[in-house]
Amino acid sequence: MSNIVEVNNLTVSFIVRGGNLLLFERGGGMMDVVNDVSFNVREGETFGLAGETGSGKSVIAWALVGLMKPRSGSIRVLAKEIDFRKKADITYLRRNVGIVFQDPVGSLNPRLRVKEIIREGLIAAKTFDRREYDGRIEEVVDLVGLRKSSLEAYPRELSGGEKQRVSLARAIVVPRKMVVLDEPTSSLDVSVQAQVLNTLKDLKSKLNLSYFFITHDINVMKYMSDSLGILYYGKLLEVGRTYDVVTNPKHPFTVRLMSNVPGLKRTKLQGREERLTEQGSSATGCVYSKVCPRVFEKCSNPPPMFNLGADHHAACFLHEQAN
Amino acid sequence: MSEGAKADLLKVNGLTLDYATVDGRVRVLEKVSMRINKGEIVGVVGESGSGKSSLGLAIIRLLDSPPADIIDGSIVFEQNDLLRANNTELSRIRGPGIGMVFQESLAALNPVYRTDAQLRESIEVLRRTQGLSISDKAEREMMVDILNDLRLDRPEWVLKKYPHELSGGMRQRVSIGMAIVERPKLLILDEVTTGLDVYVQNRILNILKDLNRRTGTAMMFITHDLLVASQICDRLYVMYAGRVMEEGGTDFILNSPAHPYTQKLFAAIPQGFVDAPPLPAPKGEAPDLRKLPSGCKFNPRCPLVMQKCRDTEPPVFETNQGSKVLCWLLEKK
Repeated sequence: MSNIVEVNNLTVSFIVRGGNLLLFERGGGMMDVVNDVSFNVREGETFGLAGETGSGKSVIAWALVGLMKPRSGSIRVLAKEIDFRKKADITYLRRNVGIVFQDPVGSLNPRLRVKEIIREGLIAAKTFDRREYDGRIEEVVDLVGLRKSSLEAYPRELSGGEKQRVSLARAIVVPRKMVVLDEPTSSLDVSVQAQVLNTLKDLKSKLNLSYFFITHDINVMKYMSDSLGILYYGKLLEVGRTYDVVTNPKHPFTVRLMSNVPGLKRTKLQGREERLTEQGSSATGCVYSKVCPRVFEKCSNPPPMFNLGADHHAACFLHEQAN
Repeated sequence: MSEGAKADLLKVNGLTLDYATVDGRVRVLEKVSMRINKGEIVGVVGESGSGKSSLGLAIIRLLDSPPADIIDGSIVFEQNDLLRANNTELSRIRGPGIGMVFQESLAALNPVYRTDAQLRESIEVLRRTQGLSISDKAEREMMVDILNDLRLDRPEWVLKKYPHELSGGMRQRVSIGMAIVERPKLLILDEVTTGLDVYVQNRILNILKDLNRRTGTAMMFITHDLLVASQICDRLYVMYAGRVMEEGGTDFILNSPAHPYTQKLFAAIPQGFVDAPPLPAPKGEAPDLRKLPSGCKFNPRCPLVMQKCRDTEPPVFETNQGSKVLCWLLEKK
């Protein structure tokens, strides 16, 4: 199976003025919010990215549609490396990769009707003839499961689920290879979330789409993604096939994350919990070493990604012997 | 759960609430009854617009009237009829009696106050309503103790921080701190873990459970997340369109939900892996309270709908296991 998108050693940095950015008190300068991240999205598959708030998930999403320039590393789309300084390359990138943002209210222009919002996607891509617009819009509205009557509606007249469907329609109105979905259902009720997830899966097989799917809900992640990456403070700690990572997590952070997933089988809370450092990352060693229960001397160096076989990789010295 | 103390702490009986809107009156709660025993954690779950937050706000009497209009029913907290209480009585009950924590910790905390000043406000209430004399030193100790109880690291450091300098999980714990510093007998928690990471969410749930166990504080846990509710609650109330559709013990509802709505809610939670079949989601979305259907309010979305459901709203049926369900399917033939 070929890769639609290949991300290699991606690093995205923010300029930080002075110290004390949130909790990590550091000096000013550059801060790598996404640090040396590599993964592939295969054709017709979903790559899921999980991680805590502030781990850099959305920054990767923005880089994947050219809204953020990498400091180093590369993004390849259909084997072509994107030069972020070239406008033509950005256009190429966006013709192939669409995006649905997390906030359905903020990402739809309140003064445009649904059909105009979707049309903007067509205008921006410049791949369709103007006369084809209306037909294409009707087609795509049908695909995402919106009623024809919604075409004349303004975003405020739509429910949360319908708004996300409009965003999705805008993202796929130009036939694309991949859609970046940044927490597409986190603001929706569980029953509406289920409907939207069903639609997403349906479209994936119908249009042979690939998804880059961000969520902090591991149940949703399991259900949606073929492969999965775990991000922590800008570092990818573990990546592999979803089933392997969920059932056999290797990195101590993933182990803890998976044990916190609420399931339908009732897990009684203990009401007790080990006292841990609030949050934090180490500037020099493994990003998780400051809070890791299994930290040892070696962790003061940054661990490389160790290959555990069967596409399963973990950035943790505990798994060094596997190599 | 503290056994042996099964006395009612809060009793809501047939509460019916309207909001006056520009489009006319909207029925937000219809004959809602619930009880919370001492030391018990009770979950109120439902989707947006089901009335769960309105119920919480009605109990602590934070609804402005107008637009809110309580048509019928009673809310009794420890022999106090809250609907008849005047402002002086209410301010004695709020805080040491009933505390509330809101979803948006960033909005619930005053952005220009440091943590110590936020907590001082609550302690000030204790001073005034309880006539307690608390020295500045004791006040400081109380604050540090509370933050320690909430397992915040470096309490002294947190006390000096403004809300925007704290992470979401820390902020939420500060707002919980503001409520529990007054040692309420009942804590109303409105979506307190929503928007937090699973890991932080789990931490907060553990802290709340621990608090409940140590101090016997009863809790009303409002959430749209059935899984979260099922982790912490002893009993559940499942709401839809302003009605309690099903109530019962958490384990019982988890294992055998009786109302089709509850069943659908559980079924909509993704459980399998990527090759799992489509989720059996209920069709449609949360109902428009201005245009509710006749009969059972869930009937347009219900997979098991019968003619009777469209004609007449079902009464409360009690099951053998003591749970209560608002559904004609439970009618004994």
